[in-house]
Amino acid sequence: MTMELLSANHASAVAATLAGRANRSARGFGSGVYPITPQTECIELLCNQEFEKGHVVRVESEHSAMAVCMGFALSGARTFTASSSNGLAYMNENVFAAGFYRLPIVMMAVNRALGPPWNIWVDHGDTLSLRDAGWVQLYCETNQEVADTTLAAYRLAEDRRVMLPVMVCQDAFILSHTMMMTDIPEQAAVDAFLPALDLPHRVSNRPRTVGGLDTPHETEAHRRQQEVAMGQVQPVYAEVQAEFLKHFGRKLADPVVSYRADDAEVLLVSMGTIAATVRTVVDEARAKGVRAGALRVRMFRPFPAEVLARAMAGKKRVGIIDRNLCPGLGGILWSEMRALAPAGCLVQDYMAGVGGGDVRPHHLKWILDDLCSRPEAGAPIFLEVG
Amino acid sequence: MLSSANSTLAKPSVPLRSLEIRLHGRGGQGGVTCAKIIAAVYAGLGKSVQTFGDYSGERSGAPVRAYTRVSDSPIENRNKIYLPDHLLVLDPTLLSDEVLAGLAPGGTLLVNTPEPPEKLAGRFEAQRLATVDATAIARRHKIGARSVVIVNTTIAGAFARALDLPLAALEEAYRHLGLLSNFPAAREAYEKVSIRPPLKEGVAAKAPTSLPVLPTVMPLVDHVESPPTALRTGNWRTETPAYVENLAPCSVFCPAGNDVVGFIQALATKGEAAAAEVLGRTTPLAAVCGRVCPAPCMEGCNRAELDGSVNIRGIERWISGKHPIAAREPKACAQPKRLAVVGGGPAGLSAAYTAAKLGHRVTLFEGERALGGVLRTGIPVYRLPRAALDQEVGDVVRLGVEVKSGQFLDRARVAQLPREYEAVVLATGLQKLRGLDGPGQALAGVEQGIHFLHRVNLDGQVKLSGHVVVLGGGNTAMDCARSALRAGASKVTVAYRRGRAEMPAIPEEVVQAEEEGVELVFLVAPLGFSGSGRVESVELAEVELGPPDDSGRRAPRVSDRKRSLRCDGVLLALGQSADLSLLPEGWKLQDGRVLENGRPLPVFAAGDLSTGDGTVTHAIGDGRRAATRALRLFDESVAEFVRPDRAKAVPATDIRFDHFAKSAPAHGRHLPAAARARSFDEVDAGLSEGLEAHRCFSCGHCTSCDTCLVYCPEGIVRRAGAGYDIDYSMCKGCGICVTECPREAMEMRAL
Repeated sequence: MTMELLSANHASAVAATLAGRANRSARGFGSGVYPITPQTECIELLCNQEFEKGHVVRVESEHSAMAVCMGFALSGARTFTASSSNGLAYMNENVFAAGFYRLPIVMMAVNRALGPPWNIWVDHGDTLSLRDAGWVQLYCETNQEVADTTLAAYRLAEDRRVMLPVMVCQDAFILSHTMMMTDIPEQAAVDAFLPALDLPHRVSNRPRTVGGLDTPHETEAHRRQQEVAMGQVQPVYAEVQAEFLKHFGRKLADPVVSYRADDAEVLLVSMGTIAATVRTVVDEARAKGVRAGALRVRMFRPFPAEVLARAMAGKKRVGIIDRNLCPGLGGILWSEMRALAPAGCLVQDYMAGVGGGDVRPHHLKWILDDLCSRPEAGAPIFLEVG
Repeated sequence: MLSSANSTLAKPSVPLRSLEIRLHGRGGQGGVTCAKIIAAVYAGLGKSVQTFGDYSGERSGAPVRAYTRVSDSPIENRNKIYLPDHLLVLDPTLLSDEVLAGLAPGGTLLVNTPEPPEKLAGRFEAQRLATVDATAIARRHKIGARSVVIVNTTIAGAFARALDLPLAALEEAYRHLGLLSNFPAAREAYEKVSIRPPLKEGVAAKAPTSLPVLPTVMPLVDHVESPPTALRTGNWRTETPAYVENLAPCSVFCPAGNDVVGFIQALATKGEAAAAEVLGRTTPLAAVCGRVCPAPCMEGCNRAELDGSVNIRGIERWISGKHPIAAREPKACAQPKRLAVVGGGPAGLSAAYTAAKLGHRVTLFEGERALGGVLRTGIPVYRLPRAALDQEVGDVVRLGVEVKSGQFLDRARVAQLPREYEAVVLATGLQKLRGLDGPGQALAGVEQGIHFLHRVNLDGQVKLSGHVVVLGGGNTAMDCARSALRAGASKVTVAYRRGRAEMPAIPEEVVQAEEEGVELVFLVAPLGFSGSGRVESVELAEVELGPPDDSGRRAPRVSDRKRSLRCDGVLLALGQSADLSLLPEGWKLQDGRVLENGRPLPVFAAGDLSTGDGTVTHAIGDGRRAATRALRLFDESVAEFVRPDRAKAVPATDIRFDHFAKSAPAHGRHLPAAARARSFDEVDAGLSEGLEAHRCFSCGHCTSCDTCLVYCPEGIVRRAGAGYDIDYSMCKGCGICVTECPREAMEMRAL
């Protein structure tokens, strides 16, 4: 184990490299990559790695990057790619295909606002638009979490009960380009943590068509099976957490991370790095006698509805902080969570930091004040951070 | 559906407790790496660190920020830094209220500037002010891209000193980050930074207490104008691109001082007449040099590093064949002076041409009947047909030069000249011939090569037979050997005391001699000759090469192993030197000028008499130099010709080869060896076309190739006249135009 001063972009590339090498005794590693700000540093580093058994293929588009990963995965290789924003939009068709093929691909996605007009900063709208693609989605808060989640994603995706692709999401620049000391495990520890990939539907020497025509009933069955697999994600994730702790001596963060939430009356719910600022505001509020708490939604797909419902039970007011806008609706996290609130609980949506503005304590303090003082829930509030 | 929250008030928040450092620089200065170095130093000291940049769409030159947080406990804060404890400013032009905003009183403000803190009196008094000239230090240590200095690794050293971080921790961080080669610059900044303590108390800035009131943004559907915006990016610049003329190696290497790149580019762009005009400024003898010059210009040519030197000698000859070179009319001269030039060889002709062209009255004395000196008496006609020589000599005379030929001057006559003429140039060449201190040199058949060539060239009809041995390895030896073949020798052997690499002869001449059947024997020194009445053999000793001597060539050491080479004739080409016995009593040569009993006379020595360089091109340059020195006695506006320093020429490493397609050099058309070896017809018919000029890189000289215009990311380089205009109100100083210039005709300058 070594501590290195790494950006989260590099942390994910290093983790993917370790995972890829760990499959060298099986079908090796394969990756199709295409650059996009702010993901470029990740794949640049990946392209400079040497693999005893594996290739990183530089292609002409994100659509092809995912196609290359699907090809590698179908042949039994461990796979990785990374993209962001409009790159994900262009990849869209094959993102769904990877989900429907049930291929355990791991993709690092840097969350960046969709354009035009162009914006390169953090916004969760890009990956949230892929919430129906049949991928597990995990959103990170720290550099270490990016490294750890990338490694854990393989163990989760490749579990026979799951066999689903996993998207590891990180905030543009605030994570992707911010360097912090990051604990990188030795190859031997990763080898022990990640068993060789044994893809049940691997295409081997006998050629066959994958993903031909499904009849309506076959589609019904395949969709249902996909949902069953999604239902396995949380129990398997708990097992992965235990294995991770055993091998690396560190806790892999929960699907929903709570902070001073148990006895709280007021909750602020967020995703990604805003959660760090939320905690400082919760602490300040507690110091003034406000029973505030916070939840960070780390796993967005499968949506941990039961966990969230339990966490919201008994709360009087819940403020949802959405770093995204679904035009015509409001915040996506809010739209999924509001139905989980107990009767009589006020749930208010606040969109903050859309397009990458720095959401600072005074913004969140304003949100908390508004949440605590409003007589009833209103339409989603769009906060311009600037 | 959406409501706006921005007009409502909120209470202040307490900032997280940690050491927070903010850095301001410009894109390309390496601010993010600088912040990373600082983080790495603290990480090495066991602190928790976080470092990041502020990323935007702008590229090099744009104001950018970078941040470093340090703490004893794990850092969770993911906001940017608004109330920094310390501030680094990489570019002093950035110092504005906006940049300084939030800096804690008593905090350190480190600025990259040549100014000491005292020069910034009255400013930043609540801060601890540190200044260092990181740009100068980085420039001295050659840190940066090809065109632009990068200061990040240097100023980090000053920061470490300002914050009392140990130098060893700094060095360890550089080692860890693979930047150790930049550490000496960091250490210099560490040692040189000046620090001034705070001069007064200040008031700490506070975090915002309310939501910001933001400007109204025009709806997309209301936009009617396209970018670019009115952003004046010119004030982002820390260095400025400029068009410059740098020295091309061909011109610098030319002993005659010809504007080589100038005449080649004139040929390429404007044709033979324009090229001839450029040549005529410095030489009347292009048809001569285009045939017999050893062409040091081609030695210097940067194209040699890509696909072979430009055939400059061939180009010069091509021009001379298409257009007369010498100026046709002398300039009008208000006060013409009388100048005597003694010696009608290349140095004398050049001196006479230089003075006559400026309208002075020149009398040229020549001992032989016809002008030309060694060009006529020494160089064989198969290399230099006399029609070409006569043409160029005639052009010099036609400028109004009075010629007095057919009479060698004695010392008494020379002594009179300064009384008859206002200035005198002596250019008598190398009249003293080296012989051999050994037995048998008086035998019949042993002759000085120069005398043999003189006979062949002026008298014609010289007959040799049998085996002729030529002793020597210079151009005279080659001329003797090849002329001997043509005069009827059945076999010719050149015996030289050093190796092939040490031969002073032009390599092409050696190759051509071998093609014609001349045999070369190396590493043998002549001891003497045997024969009864007539020479029958040369006695040779074997030679070993020792370490290099003063000339840079390996010095021969004669061994006691001897051998004898049978022969029927011997030509000595062992070297020549100046005959100073021509100087009258009491005259002494010093730095090319004659002193009479210590008093300077208006008499100057030129060419081989003065320098002994022994080539036509050196003689032309030195003849011009002597003439300009003489004329400066009367008119200081005449510029003395001084040969430039070779080290100042644009090196090949500064030429962007990837802008040039490879193409092999064009060669002259040579007669087949068998056909030419027994004939005095000209061997080389020259180039078949003038296209070779297009291979010239034009080192250091703008050709208006548009590369700067095409590569400018801002699109603000425009054609203007023969050159370009840069819109400096928009130029960010990114240096891409300078980096991409194929021929080093641009440079970045300090603001």
